[in-house]
Amino acid sequence: MNVRTSLLVRCALALATMMLVTLSAAAADEPPSLAADVAAGKLPPLAQRLPATPRVVDISRPGWATGRYGGELRMLMAKDRDIRMMVVYGYARLIGYDEKLQLVPDILESLDNVGNRIFTLHLRRGHKWSDGQPFTSEDFRYYWEDVANNKDVSPFGLPRALLVDNRAPKFEVVDATTVRYTWDEPNPQFLTALAGPSPLFIYRPAHYLKQFHAKYVGLEKANARAVAAGSRNWAGLYQKLDEQFRNDNPDLPTLEPWINTTPLPTTRFVLVRNPYFHRVDRMGRQLPYIDRVIVNITDDKLIPARAGAGSVDLQARYLRFDNYTFLKQSETRNHYRVYLWEKALGSQVALYPNLNVEDPVWRTLMRDVRFRRALSLGIDRHEINEVVYFGLGQESANTVLPRSPLFRPQFRTAWSTFDPKRANALLDAIGLTKRDDNGLRLLPDGRPMELIIDTAGESSEETDVLELIRDTWRQLGIAMFARPSQREVFRKRVFSGKSMMSVFYGLSNGVPTPEMSPSELAPTTQEQLEWPMWGQYYEQNRKGGEKPELPEVVKLVGLYGEWRRASDDSERERVWLEMLAIHAEQVYTIGTVTHALQPVVVSDDLRNVPADGIFSWDPGAYFGMYNVDAFWFDTEGR
Amino acid sequence: MLLYVGKRVLMMIPTLFAISIIVFTIIQLPPGNYLESYIAELQAQGESVDQQKVAFLREYYGLDKPIPEQYVRWVGGMLHGDFGYSFEFNMPVTKVIGDRMLLTIIVSFVTILFTWCVAFPIGIYSATHQYSWGDYGLSLVGFLGIAIPNFMLALVMMYVANVLFGTTIGGLMDPEFIGKPWTLEKVKSVLEHSWIPVIVIGTSGTAGMIRRLRANLLDELQKQYVVTARAKGLPPGKVLRKYPLRMALNFFISDIGSLLPHIISGAEITAVVLSLPTTGPMLLNALKSQDMYLAGTFLMFLALLIVVGVLVSDLALVALDPRIRLTGGVAR
Amino acid sequence: MSTLELPPAAGNVDHYVSTEPFEPGSALELSPEQERFYLASQWKLMWWKFRRHRVAVVSAVILLVMYGSTLVTEFLAPYNLHARHTDFIYASPSPMHLVHDGHFIGPFVYAQKKSLDMKNLRRVYTPDRTQPRPLRFFCSGDPYRFWGIVDMSFHVVCPAQDGNFFLLGTDRLGRDMFSRILYGARISLTIGLLGIALSFTLGLVIGGIAGYYGGWIDTAVQRLIEVIRSFPELPLWMALSAVLPVTWSPVLIYFGITAILALLDWTGLARAVRSKLLALREEDYTTAARLMGAKPSRIIGRHLLPGFMSHLIASATLSIPGMILGETALSFLGIGLRPPITSWGVLLNDAQNVNVVALYPWLMLPVVPVIVVILAFNFFGDGLRDAADPYR
Repeated sequence: MNVRTSLLVRCALALATMMLVTLSAAAADEPPSLAADVAAGKLPPLAQRLPATPRVVDISRPGWATGRYGGELRMLMAKDRDIRMMVVYGYARLIGYDEKLQLVPDILESLDNVGNRIFTLHLRRGHKWSDGQPFTSEDFRYYWEDVANNKDVSPFGLPRALLVDNRAPKFEVVDATTVRYTWDEPNPQFLTALAGPSPLFIYRPAHYLKQFHAKYVGLEKANARAVAAGSRNWAGLYQKLDEQFRNDNPDLPTLEPWINTTPLPTTRFVLVRNPYFHRVDRMGRQLPYIDRVIVNITDDKLIPARAGAGSVDLQARYLRFDNYTFLKQSETRNHYRVYLWEKALGSQVALYPNLNVEDPVWRTLMRDVRFRRALSLGIDRHEINEVVYFGLGQESANTVLPRSPLFRPQFRTAWSTFDPKRANALLDAIGLTKRDDNGLRLLPDGRPMELIIDTAGESSEETDVLELIRDTWRQLGIAMFARPSQREVFRKRVFSGKSMMSVFYGLSNGVPTPEMSPSELAPTTQEQLEWPMWGQYYEQNRKGGEKPELPEVVKLVGLYGEWRRASDDSERERVWLEMLAIHAEQVYTIGTVTHALQPVVVSDDLRNVPADGIFSWDPGAYFGMYNVDAFWFDTEGR
Repeated sequence: MLLYVGKRVLMMIPTLFAISIIVFTIIQLPPGNYLESYIAELQAQGESVDQQKVAFLREYYGLDKPIPEQYVRWVGGMLHGDFGYSFEFNMPVTKVIGDRMLLTIIVSFVTILFTWCVAFPIGIYSATHQYSWGDYGLSLVGFLGIAIPNFMLALVMMYVANVLFGTTIGGLMDPEFIGKPWTLEKVKSVLEHSWIPVIVIGTSGTAGMIRRLRANLLDELQKQYVVTARAKGLPPGKVLRKYPLRMALNFFISDIGSLLPHIISGAEITAVVLSLPTTGPMLLNALKSQDMYLAGTFLMFLALLIVVGVLVSDLALVALDPRIRLTGGVAR
Repeated sequence: MSTLELPPAAGNVDHYVSTEPFEPGSALELSPEQERFYLASQWKLMWWKFRRHRVAVVSAVILLVMYGSTLVTEFLAPYNLHARHTDFIYASPSPMHLVHDGHFIGPFVYAQKKSLDMKNLRRVYTPDRTQPRPLRFFCSGDPYRFWGIVDMSFHVVCPAQDGNFFLLGTDRLGRDMFSRILYGARISLTIGLLGIALSFTLGLVIGGIAGYYGGWIDTAVQRLIEVIRSFPELPLWMALSAVLPVTWSPVLIYFGITAILALLDWTGLARAVRSKLLALREEDYTTAARLMGAKPSRIIGRHLLPGFMSHLIASATLSIPGMILGETALSFLGIGLRPPITSWGVLLNDAQNVNVVALYPWLMLPVVPVIVVILAFNFFGDGLRDAADPYR
């Protein structure tokens, strides 16, 4: 990802691509759905719509082939809000992940990175927004000066990913297609934030948004317009309209492969191709191949049924593993196939002992590594795997997956066998030897050991796993109760210390590479369920929460700082491995089963969808990194 | 007559006012508010939230204001036709509700018609052949309608319809027709989809109506004038049709008062299961995510529908039944 | 009315005098049956009339059996509430047979052979017809705590020592459906009773006060009733359920749901009480009692209410199905009771997806007892109501 290419090489590459593309563009056809408009003069011809050096999409996966135009991709979602998933799946980013989880410039033609401190972004010349207006460094300047640093529009300041130790970068426009950001200290989050599924947008369609901005039309006019539209003031209306991720404003220009043409509220979104999309295939044909995407909104419980009835062409969201059998049954009848992709979570269901719990007795216990190890040894992961995942999962602690270069087998097996004898011995060693009449161990202050686990109460998977764990922990003399809660209440209880243990999914990024941030492994935010107050301490710049006391946790904080200042990959890798090793030994979170599978329904005619992929939010953007714009319908092969 | 109408309409106002207070209190009672639900939901799906955005939104929507002030804003807005703002959809509530209220009314109306058509003959047969096997049998069928939970029936019927008839699962029409103008194809599709909800919702209302109709008709059949008519030699069919049946018709109108709340709430849960574009699923979501203006407005609308429906039925009854007019009030 | 001529003025009219002996002091002789009839109390008359309604009697028996079973659920269920069988997940129902290979060997089930279909990721169970597993009766099986107090392990029916008895199949954790339905009955049936008790009390008290005192109290109560009746039930239940703090213990939530169901139900009863009281308070005996110095509560309780208590009971009985359905619906939507409480509604919530309808339909069986109970209550209530007016 550290792209440092010399000026000469860059120029040569650009020239070569330009030649290749212009040659093939001259020979390439218009997408048929646009041909009429081009002939009528409503749209400029292809060569003028593409940037001078479009991005060539050519993937070397077996089974991948350049495709043909045409078709309508049907998908199902459960809420109107989910239309934002199209920005995730479309995955047009300044710089994005490819299938091999490498960062590759996408919207950007190239990017210069000096020590993770100075980033020079080179745009593609001639790149246009979906309404034909030019996409230039002006859009970046507009964002920087008139949005991010404007007190009315952003009263709470710059996004966190742009701040290093609370300091903003220096922004400069070098020329019409080049901008530069300079920090004093390295900002390793910058690129991963730009490549994220819900990315950091550092540009805006300035030409469209200026008409709502008081600086450009005058305060009175902007306010009048806002009030007429039902907002309190111009900043309110502005905030509503300037939402590239939410994807619900059909007038907002975009750089994504498909444009949403349906306003809310609706139960059916129609997205049409973006005539100015910047990617082409190796023959010079402009992507996407598919003309339209239809997103139907229906009740989430009906989605597996409708997918099984053949109403979708591509579906993964809202399909669960236990739907697989049903989906497989109707495969041939309804002309689709079901793939099983690997979910990239560190653990499907993980337990988080709350190291900041209020109750002092439980707090001492939770902070005692022997206790956590005993709890982990008392879980029969094999049974969980058999019962809930049909034996197809992988018993493991909460750590990274084998696909990641940072995986080591000892991380997975550390303290994750089922060994009740050893667990009992550890509990005895802590001193919890007294038991009551029912065989439950007693806490040092005489109360029976009744561990209450809070859940967000929605996933029957979690309930099932907890049911199984309850029985095995009983053998250790610990009574476990699951307390289902509502999500907000659940989080509040954890953050305030009222909850002693909670259950959630494990590491959200189970396939990291050394450049990705290990922020999940150290206290960095209040949202971390195992140490909310320590996380809060760092999130609020040492002004809230509590300072961590456990030596290993302090070490983790130090290591995280080292990662941020690291200058090359091997150093980052070393830091990662150390952090993972500490987690494996200290068992801060207790994982159960990983490598869970996600069913993906793909229509028989849809090509270029990998049969075997990773289903991950970040990195990966679910389908994003597999280039949905290059999926195509093969109607002749039927 | 006009006085009566005026009085009834006037009495509606404090009722609606009381309803609005109750609705608002209930909406506010669950802990947390919309923003917190929203954040929690994003977290649960593994997405991250920009805290600054959240703080901004909280201030903008006035979620940090005291509750009585929020109530006054809401009611004040409603009187202007401004029903508040839906956080979930990021637009005024009226735009969100749009078609849904209309569809709810249509579905309810059609279901009431269905209930009438089914309950009428059964009720009459039951009353005239009391304690016979037919009576028991038909009552059983009617009761089965109440006994089988709506949602279960809806789920099974929907699946069966898909396997047997190829009807697409859920919704009131095939997805291609959504948002398109009304063509014959679209009407056909709607009819294809709507028989399930109508039957499911209708069956639960039918039994109650049968029972009430039967009881009323039995009362009428005991009266003196029926005995007289029979004694005078009128054939039984004619006796039935000319006199008690008229009284029974009366009953249809007046029974809307009991039927309407039942139909509407039955419609809600069935709509959730079948994913109909009516108020049901949206209301459930709004309640779960505490989109309070949306949920509050829905509840108000539903209550208003019932109050107005009852009013209309009372007025219709007054118009139909001279006894009520003359004695100056509805004896219910 | 034909030929009737009046007699001439001051003439004689033919009259007839009976020569039978006549004693004005003697009372009318009653046959024993008639005497029993006229001397019978109100309740006895109701019972006699009720008995004639055969279907109602049958329903009453069914209800008695079901409620009775909730007292001894632990004995009746072959397994205890939390028993799991990880090797028998989603097992299909194994029906009970009596005849094996032509010989009668008593009640038994066939052992089930499990195989994994790795293509469809499905567990397939086929009954092994060479291996009958006779059931044991009055045996010792899964241990449990009877009513949470006494440790016992007595069961009326248990599976064979090395076999299983999944009469209605198992669910996704391998729990026996038959046992779960039996345990679920406890919660679902008692919610109805508790709810009706609450709503009955509310209706009596509020309706009684409104009817007896009349005036502005009456008007206020009428308005209140109208407001509550104007609400669509389910949405209001949904809203109220969303209010219950999810951190409450299951027992508290159970009572909370009961209270919510009752809060919307008392209006029907209150109106009936009120209208009856309005009529009856003008009666002479009421005035007499009042003049004799009886307090209003005594008048209402001892004099007025017994007159139509039977109607009230009948109406109350007819409301119970509504409560049971309400709980089922709320739990089904996920906003009523939740696991680990087991009620029929919670069981149906598990059955609420397409997997179940297509692949594991036996998980929908909890709907059958729901239907049976509701039908039984309806017929029973109808019978009660017909019987409540014995002079008709």
